Amino acid sequence: MESKTSPLADVRVLELAGEVGSCAGKMFADLGADVIHIEPPQGDPARRYQPFYKDVPSTEGSLEYQYFNTNKRGMVLDITTEEGKEIFLKLVKTADILIENERPGYLDQLGLGYSQLSAVNPKLVHVAITPFGQDGPYKDFPQSDLVCMAMGGFLYLAGKDDEKPSRAYGDQAYMMGSLYAAMGSIIALYHAEATGEGQFLDVSMQESVSTALENAVQYYDLEGIIRRSLIGAEAGYGTYPCRDGYIFVMAAMGKNRYLWDPFVDWLIEDKIEGAEVLRGDEWLDPLYRRKEESVETFKKIVEPFLMNKDKLFLYEESQRRKCCVFPVSSPKDVYNNPQLQYRKFFKTMYHEALGGEIHYPGPAYDMTEMKWELSKPAPVFGQHTSEILQELGYTPDQIAVLVKGGVVVVKEDAA
Amino acid sequence: MSKKMPLDGIIVADFTWVGAGPIATRFLSEYGAKVIKIETKSKPEILRMTGPFKDGIPGVDRSGYFSNRNPNKQSISLNMKHPKARDVAARIIEKSDLVINNFRPGVMEKWKLGYEDVKKIKPDIIFVTMSMQGSSGPHSSYMGFGATLNALVGFNHLSGFPDQPPFGTGTNYSDHVAVPTHTIFALMAAFRHRNKTGKGQFIEIPQSEAAICMKPVAVMDYAVNGREQSRIGNRHLNAAPHGVYRTSGDKRWIGIAVYNDSEWESLKNVMGNPAWANDPKFATKEGRMANQDQLDSMIEKWTSGQDGHELMQKLAGSGVRAGMVLNAKDMLEDPQMQARGHWVYLDHPEIGVSAYNGCPVHMSKTPAQYKTAAPLLGQHTEEVMKEFLNMDDREYKQLEADQVFA
Repeated sequence: MESKTSPLADVRVLELAGEVGSCAGKMFADLGADVIHIEPPQGDPARRYQPFYKDVPSTEGSLEYQYFNTNKRGMVLDITTEEGKEIFLKLVKTADILIENERPGYLDQLGLGYSQLSAVNPKLVHVAITPFGQDGPYKDFPQSDLVCMAMGGFLYLAGKDDEKPSRAYGDQAYMMGSLYAAMGSIIALYHAEATGEGQFLDVSMQESVSTALENAVQYYDLEGIIRRSLIGAEAGYGTYPCRDGYIFVMAAMGKNRYLWDPFVDWLIEDKIEGAEVLRGDEWLDPLYRRKEESVETFKKIVEPFLMNKDKLFLYEESQRRKCCVFPVSSPKDVYNNPQLQYRKFFKTMYHEALGGEIHYPGPAYDMTEMKWELSKPAPVFGQHTSEILQELGYTPDQIAVLVKGGVVVVKEDAA
Repeated sequence: MSKKMPLDGIIVADFTWVGAGPIATRFLSEYGAKVIKIETKSKPEILRMTGPFKDGIPGVDRSGYFSNRNPNKQSISLNMKHPKARDVAARIIEKSDLVINNFRPGVMEKWKLGYEDVKKIKPDIIFVTMSMQGSSGPHSSYMGFGATLNALVGFNHLSGFPDQPPFGTGTNYSDHVAVPTHTIFALMAAFRHRNKTGKGQFIEIPQSEAAICMKPVAVMDYAVNGREQSRIGNRHLNAAPHGVYRTSGDKRWIGIAVYNDSEWESLKNVMGNPAWANDPKFATKEGRMANQDQLDSMIEKWTSGQDGHELMQKLAGSGVRAGMVLNAKDMLEDPQMQARGHWVYLDHPEIGVSAYNGCPVHMSKTPAQYKTAAPLLGQHTEEVMKEFLNMDDREYKQLEADQVFA
């Protein structure tokens, strides 16, 4: 355990990112990279997002901001000013990766586009996350998660038949764009370190979302069928109520019996009225299961069975019986999930400015040689501005002038 | 411009199947890695037998579901139940940089190809396993699928309309992005680490945990505030109006999101400043958040009957965040997706030319490459044995006769 190393400790990432790219920066920061989260003087918009720590709105209290910015250093810098640009270029010279989410062309207008940055640092990997990419007819359309989910084809799948679709929780288009940015930038970093060649990475959130359409595009391409969600459209595949909430039953899968039979056996063993009907071979035909009448029959049979059982029992017992019933977990269930608790997945860290502990999800990976750790909470507004400027060679007097001119913001007790 | 690709020279012994695994190794192949997909003819993977199929006719080499996840790869057939198969796999692993699988814990070990075994074959190997819920803990051996995992990690509870049962995303979402991208991120860090230290390692990506990292705020909210968030349809905790509204046509909607007062002014202007919208109760974000039912119904009255595409152009052109809900056909025909060259058309011996997703990351100097369509089952067995493993013809024929490649 102690011999593990922080694999990205020698990597510096600049992030002009806010709510979209900060997840990409977090992935680097949690493996030890020096990630500098650069905020404009008005602050990262995520700082203003609900919910807040103890429900008290404050600059530091947004849980979203706190989650996505762990382990980073924070700097408040106005890159639209001449002095701000100069500081930014000095930082770029020291960086391996820049992650940004500005609208296409904006950084070029400031004189901080890829051509200018790569002149200062040819090894730089510059990754830009935008709703539609850097070119094309929609490149200037304004950004929102909902728009990217809609235009990426994902939202259409979130409903069956004629139902109005409902969007996925948690700004998933932003997440997808950010994860692809992280993936692309570490591949490009690997290349830059081997060849000395940096490059520009243009990540479109619309395209990112379009990679999550399952087989929908191929269904249209190969069979001319425009599909929506299949969940709930078929008996034995979808959400059903139980005593303490809902469960997700996966008994039906194509023409396979291996999930169906043990589930039906369980109903019969429990002396559920009418369960023998489900033994019929017709139930192994997806088209039969999709009939409205079949959906209703199945529901009527299983409901009394489910309504006197809890989701955790159904989940664990189903696995013992080699069938597949999963809990529809609420946030509380997720937090208390026995598997996650056993694995100590959730971590806590004390946050000085908030005067308490925040609970965070742990790593997405276990690695034998590399360390993932939470070493410091998200930076307080302007926390490392002064420290970073001093590393670049600015004197306290020069920093005071920059503060006065509104070019940078320095956290008060750090000034 | 250098022609060298980032992952040139990297060789992958790819035991993955179905969802998250093949999607991950697909990206490795796009950036230059040689990916050898180890399959079994006598037991083809589920996705090869799952639709859509070319012209609706089933066949192990006809699934578009499978093909989209497997371009550029080589497929060999190896019957792992055969006693001689393990040796062939070991010879591939000896020349590989990465061994990757998404089986349940214990399957690779049963074949004597767990990390401890593989390390003896290739000491600096990077070994990646994408288990459902991790290899330790009371639920580590549980079977599950993307769709069930989404329910387990909270997506379903939090996604859907408040007056209806939990819904989720309608897909096996966590398979598609969360798990593959986290996997690539970790293994790239591992390649880097190996280049510096000479050491390989074992990496496990529990799919449930990677999925939670995509949507943790509600769980954090519970942990610190004791609040149980629930689904809110198309609304947003920090923006209003924020919804999906019917337009003209069958199953046609537009998404509109208003984050601040100036965007609200723009939306009002596009709507022609109707009297209802000028009610002072909508003038502030707090007011709009508090009166969403009325807001949504009035906006839908306005959008219904209008052409979604024209409406989107008008709204987006005025700075309002708006986008049509596109279906799969729209996606293939979308002018933006086409201008970006997103869809890649590859020619396959049985399927013919069909559409594949391109990589959403456009690299200026080493763009993702698409050399070949998805492989036929076992298409490259002979090539990999003879050219990659330098197996002589006699041995190859013998193994073939012994049903090792069956």
